[in-house]
Amino acid sequence: MAAPAPTKPASSTATPLVRQDIEIATRAADHFTRLYYAAYDSDTRLADLPKFYRESSSLLWNGRPSQGPDGLTQLIKNMPSTKHDVQSFDCQPVPGTSPPSLLVIVSGNVTYGRGPSGNPPNTPAKTVEGHPRAFSQTFMLVPDSSAVIKPGEVAKYYVSTDSLRFVG
Amino acid sequence: MFSTSTPASGSRTIASRALRRAGLVDSDTQMRDGDNDRRNAQRSRRRIRGTESAKEQATGSFHRSLAVRMSASARGTASDPLAIRGAARPTIAGRLRRKDAESGFASNRDGAVDAWRQMVNARYNPETRFLDLSSMIDDEIVKKHSLSPPGRGGNVRTAAVIFKLAGQLQPEVQTLSLANNNLHGMHLLYLDRYLPKLRNLSLEGNDLQTWRDLDHVGAKKDKMKCLRELVLIGTPIRDMEYKNGRGDRYRSELARRFPALEVLDSETITQIGFTTETDIGQQQSVVPKPSATTFPYEMGPSFITGVDGNLVSAFLFRFFEFFDTQRNGLLGVYDDQANFSYCCNTSIPVRARIENLHNTLPNQRRLNWEKWLENSGGGSRNLNRQQVNVDKSVKLLHIGPPSIIAAQTALPETKHDVLGSMQKFVVDAFPVPHGQGHALLVTLHGEFMEVRKQALRSFDRSFILLPAPEGSRAKLAGWDVTILSDQLTIRGYSNPNVWKIGPMLVQAEAKSNPAQKPAAFVTSSLPLDQQATLNNLPDETQRNLVLQTCARTRLNVNFALDCLHGNAWDLERAITNFEQVKDKLPKDAYL
Repeated sequence: MAAPAPTKPASSTATPLVRQDIEIATRAADHFTRLYYAAYDSDTRLADLPKFYRESSSLLWNGRPSQGPDGLTQLIKNMPSTKHDVQSFDCQPVPGTSPPSLLVIVSGNVTYGRGPSGNPPNTPAKTVEGHPRAFSQTFMLVPDSSAVIKPGEVAKYYVSTDSLRFVG
Repeated sequence: MFSTSTPASGSRTIASRALRRAGLVDSDTQMRDGDNDRRNAQRSRRRIRGTESAKEQATGSFHRSLAVRMSASARGTASDPLAIRGAARPTIAGRLRRKDAESGFASNRDGAVDAWRQMVNARYNPETRFLDLSSMIDDEIVKKHSLSPPGRGGNVRTAAVIFKLAGQLQPEVQTLSLANNNLHGMHLLYLDRYLPKLRNLSLEGNDLQTWRDLDHVGAKKDKMKCLRELVLIGTPIRDMEYKNGRGDRYRSELARRFPALEVLDSETITQIGFTTETDIGQQQSVVPKPSATTFPYEMGPSFITGVDGNLVSAFLFRFFEFFDTQRNGLLGVYDDQANFSYCCNTSIPVRARIENLHNTLPNQRRLNWEKWLENSGGGSRNLNRQQVNVDKSVKLLHIGPPSIIAAQTALPETKHDVLGSMQKFVVDAFPVPHGQGHALLVTLHGEFMEVRKQALRSFDRSFILLPAPEGSRAKLAGWDVTILSDQLTIRGYSNPNVWKIGPMLVQAEAKSNPAQKPAAFVTSSLPLDQQATLNNLPDETQRNLVLQTCARTRLNVNFALDCLHGNAWDLERAITNFEQVKDKLPKDAYL
């Protein structure tokens, strides 16, 4: 993830947010979280999930960086099956970007593999392994200027940044 | 900010054309029929709601009992509405009709199901995948068998049977018209169960009065999640919203309820698309299913790159000092257009519950979410919750420093122990594209004490930062960076050992594994500023060597680094060298 150091923003002459912007952003986040985790949890995730990313996308999985759809493929190729349960999410349009980048923050549970039932038979009841982990995932979604858009669409967005940690 | 290049209205999808061809959207005749139906519906509704005038008493009680039956049967059969196979489980209306009917066909339940099936099959066009169930009361098959369609004597159960039959059609139904059936919300309760992948739906000219009626179609967000087009023209709810000048809100509320909605009442909805949508699940080539039984990587240390780690830690120290003691002191660090919002994930973390942290830590039981969920600054902006409607989501996004500080001041008092044990926090920071340049995304996970209750909560916080230009408000207030975006998620307390660096288990291990290795010395054992210094090293091998040196000598990161550097990054040479000079080292050379 070799990215240049922070530089000054292009300009901060962006128009202030209006109600409709927030509404569209909120709805996009809703739609995105649904699509994304459904794709992650599906049997065909190796085909579906990389489509959310582009070559320039940066990923961080529990402190481990990778890059682009290929980096994601490497990551999920060796990942057990998952079942995500989104418990909260929030979304903010990032000031100074137009159409705005979206900051999407998701908090929830994720079960890996076979869950508690996959533990060995004599596992003590107090064992946490196998049980759902709490996760926190921060995305930046940005417009893909090269994508073909449908009527009514402002733009097609992709994941430019994806930063995940287990948090419980 | 958002602008769409295509007109918001007038663009109609294929489905819309299909509906129109079928006379469901624009056809005059159907509209007239619909109007009549509506008038009838309104008349009968007035009867239901009206006082029991002598003249209407009989009809009134008839309708009331029907309503009671409907809700009772829905409650009783929530797990499977068709547990008793009875499409036309005899209703009062049905019985009344049958008195006149020559044939007793409809009293035979299976016969009724067969008749409904006949109707459903006859009205399905497999080529366009369009099922036209408009005005069922006028259907020849319905008349022949004296069936009572839902909304015309048939109840939620009848509707469920019809939806179930529709769900069995091949190829799968994509477009469904239920126009002009005098349906109430309740009739639609099982639509999602049997036709969850429906893409286009017309409910035109039905008796949908309130938002609660529409709750039955898609209140829960996982309902009707493929629905792209919806027609509610000629329903009382739509008429009412437009009459009261709330057309925009009507549209945004429906857009919120149906995440995939693209066209509402033949007008496109402005939205953001995702490149993958059309491809998801449509993959032709076969890909391997997930089968791994271990994680691809271990839990890694804090990841900070593309930025001076000291800048990040200095920012965090100062930020939380103000946040904990004097929130209005943060006025200067927020950009004029900055955003702040927070949300609560109130669910109890599964692993924390298993570890019984709730009971074993002091005071945890005193905590409640009250002051977080709602307060004078607004409250939690958890967009996953149905209660956070469009109005709230706008109000709870705080824009600009004064509004942000007001919202934060309304939050309960906190104490973040960022200067104490760094094992309680993990921070990731790296550049992200912003305009033509870059900004810095900083994500911090950790815990704080809710001071009034003296109890712990966990949190996640994401900042987007820009360098503070010389002479800027932030710079003058002593900040090197300015905040563009700030999002806080508050969670139930979880054990911070989740960030312990090293392997993670997917399942519990079999018991025969007693060999316990001594606890590793890991990055998170270090104070935050030293973690940052360490993470500034680009080379992972070097970072590991520094950690090992720290572990064996208890030297702090800077001294360990110097020592390794002076010994050509040879660990054993560095240790030997340390042994020779350790008596001469100052106290602050050590951790």
